[in-house]
Amino acid sequence: MNIAILGCGTMGMIYAHNLAKMPGVTVTGVVDINARRAERAAALTGAKAYTDVASLFEQKDLETVAVCLPTYLHKPYVLQIAEKGLHVICEKPAALTLEDAQEMRAACEQHGARLFIGHVVRFFPNYHDAYQQAHSGKIGAPKMAHFKRYGAYPQGMEGWYTDPGKSGGVIMDLMIHDIDYACWLFGEVESVYASVVKRDEPKMDYAQLTLHFKNKAIASLTGYWGYPGPFTTQFEVSGDQGIIRFDSNQVQPLDIQTMGLLRGEGPAVQIPSGSSLHDPYYKELQHFIECIRNGSDPLVSIEDACYAVAIAQAAGQSAQTGQPVMIGGNVS
Amino acid sequence: MNKIKVGFISFAHMHAATYLFSMLKRDDVEVVGIADEDAERVRPYSVERGIPYYADYNELLSQEIDAVVICSENARHAEITKRAAEAGKHVLCEKPLGLSEAEMLEMIRVCKEHDVQLMTAFPCRYLTSVRQAKEAVDAGQIGDILAMKGTNRGTMPGGWFIEREKSGGGAVFDHTVHVMDLMHWFTGSKVEEVYAHAETLFHDTDIDDAGMVHVKFANGVVAVLDPSWSRNRTFPTWGDVTLEIIGTKGVLNIDAFAQKNEVYSDVTGKAAAWSFWGDDMDEGLINSFVESIRNGKPVEVTGEDGYYSARVALAAYESASTKRTVQLKSQA
Repeated sequence: MNIAILGCGTMGMIYAHNLAKMPGVTVTGVVDINARRAERAAALTGAKAYTDVASLFEQKDLETVAVCLPTYLHKPYVLQIAEKGLHVICEKPAALTLEDAQEMRAACEQHGARLFIGHVVRFFPNYHDAYQQAHSGKIGAPKMAHFKRYGAYPQGMEGWYTDPGKSGGVIMDLMIHDIDYACWLFGEVESVYASVVKRDEPKMDYAQLTLHFKNKAIASLTGYWGYPGPFTTQFEVSGDQGIIRFDSNQVQPLDIQTMGLLRGEGPAVQIPSGSSLHDPYYKELQHFIECIRNGSDPLVSIEDACYAVAIAQAAGQSAQTGQPVMIGGNVS
Repeated sequence: MNKIKVGFISFAHMHAATYLFSMLKRDDVEVVGIADEDAERVRPYSVERGIPYYADYNELLSQEIDAVVICSENARHAEITKRAAEAGKHVLCEKPLGLSEAEMLEMIRVCKEHDVQLMTAFPCRYLTSVRQAKEAVDAGQIGDILAMKGTNRGTMPGGWFIEREKSGGGAVFDHTVHVMDLMHWFTGSKVEEVYAHAETLFHDTDIDDAGMVHVKFANGVVAVLDPSWSRNRTFPTWGDVTLEIIGTKGVLNIDAFAQKNEVYSDVTGKAAAWSFWGDDMDEGLINSFVESIRNGKPVEVTGEDGYYSARVALAAYESASTKRTVQLKSQA
């Protein structure tokens, strides 16, 4: 599998790191408008560095492009890639609007290209285990859930995360992980209600939202950019015969304390880390590549990704109007 | 020393037992009688301890007593409180204060008219972690409050709690009021708008056992609260009281029953149990009530506090049935 990475920021480097060590996969090109960042990714993967996508398209044996660009650039680049008949693995969220995401989907279908959206939380072993436990009958029928996802304010290139027109804000960019997971768990959403608190100095974007599902299940989600503590994820799924809980701050399989370690600057965008042989991005990318090879269906479909965008949009609308938003349509 | 003379009316709500034990610990209190239409229910607390039993609470009210503790079914709070006030007795009334706004306002009015104090039993105010949190917030440690998320998840109590005509409502009524009172206390503001879900998800019953309550305060703070009876049989404890407060300068988390030992017992047969070893909140509540009566100073948690909290739960039911936000008038 010959694959290229488009966008060599935080996520592009995570992709580069994982793809570089994946058997049967060759990273043939890395692209970033910033030549220094492209070179950095090239050094890690042995790929050729480019500063524009047109030069990448000159590669003859390229099969797949991983899109790790800021969200507002997903659609224009995915459309270009699809037109070349190349498969696409695109970072979440698919796009800033359902319309854009569907346009991407249609373009890929039209050109016979596969399109995968990186809802990586489904590949996190703790979330994956919870899903399996919840569906095993061990907790009876899942009825309610809580999800929490807190981290520092992300420092993207030229502050693109701070511009809701580029990132979609905390709901669309961060909480969409838990929105997708909750919909995976409970199915179709009936209504969404959300409240958002945004501030400058220090910058914060916080939201609390409730999803009410068609099967009457209730999920409460909180997300926070600008949290002063460590990157934190928590969830609880309660069924009529049991409860599953996880708190990232309680899980520490390895603890190392060293003398006189100076606290340096944190990373630009916080990514949860854990003691596992492969990080969830590795599992996710490997799965998508297998789907391309076998023509099989992915764990998270483009329809799922579009649905998550629709719910995130509805949440944004609810926060703006102060009223719940009823969800029409179906999960396809 | 002149002892404060206290009577207990009804042990329908078993909080009465810990309130009684807290009273009995004090040298300056004499428990002069326990009234309950069910003699058997109170036998271990009354005659077996040498405390006179009354089948009719009116007879207890005709004794020379200073105050009564009312732990009847919710539906009888108003009637008994008003009788006690008319008899010139101060009242400590179990939560939720009453079943309707009009009923609660009447209770408050009658107590004022007869110059007796009305305290709502919100023991969570006397949790040590809560008091420390209040001090931290008041000292400005987390700046101004922006948002809160609370939980008061519990075990389904059964009995009269799930008989609507006696309880007035299920989990949303039973478990919204404690943490909503804390939210009012911390913000110093009042809830203006409510959006909520109320469902029966966990148990085979006709009354709501699950919900999610969103509120907006007059000062702009937003909050969400889970009052569900969602703790299953094998959960290691009865439930929880948690409150997360997002401020302009920091984040504060209360997990009121986190002070626990984990007990793994082959004898009790329960896989894991939490043994709480923190301070006793009920004792704090009782001590505060007794000291207010003793010193003739205003009770720390008033009838109005009980009213403001319970009206949110009432509005939650209205919102759940109309699927819209419900506005609350700003004054009692």
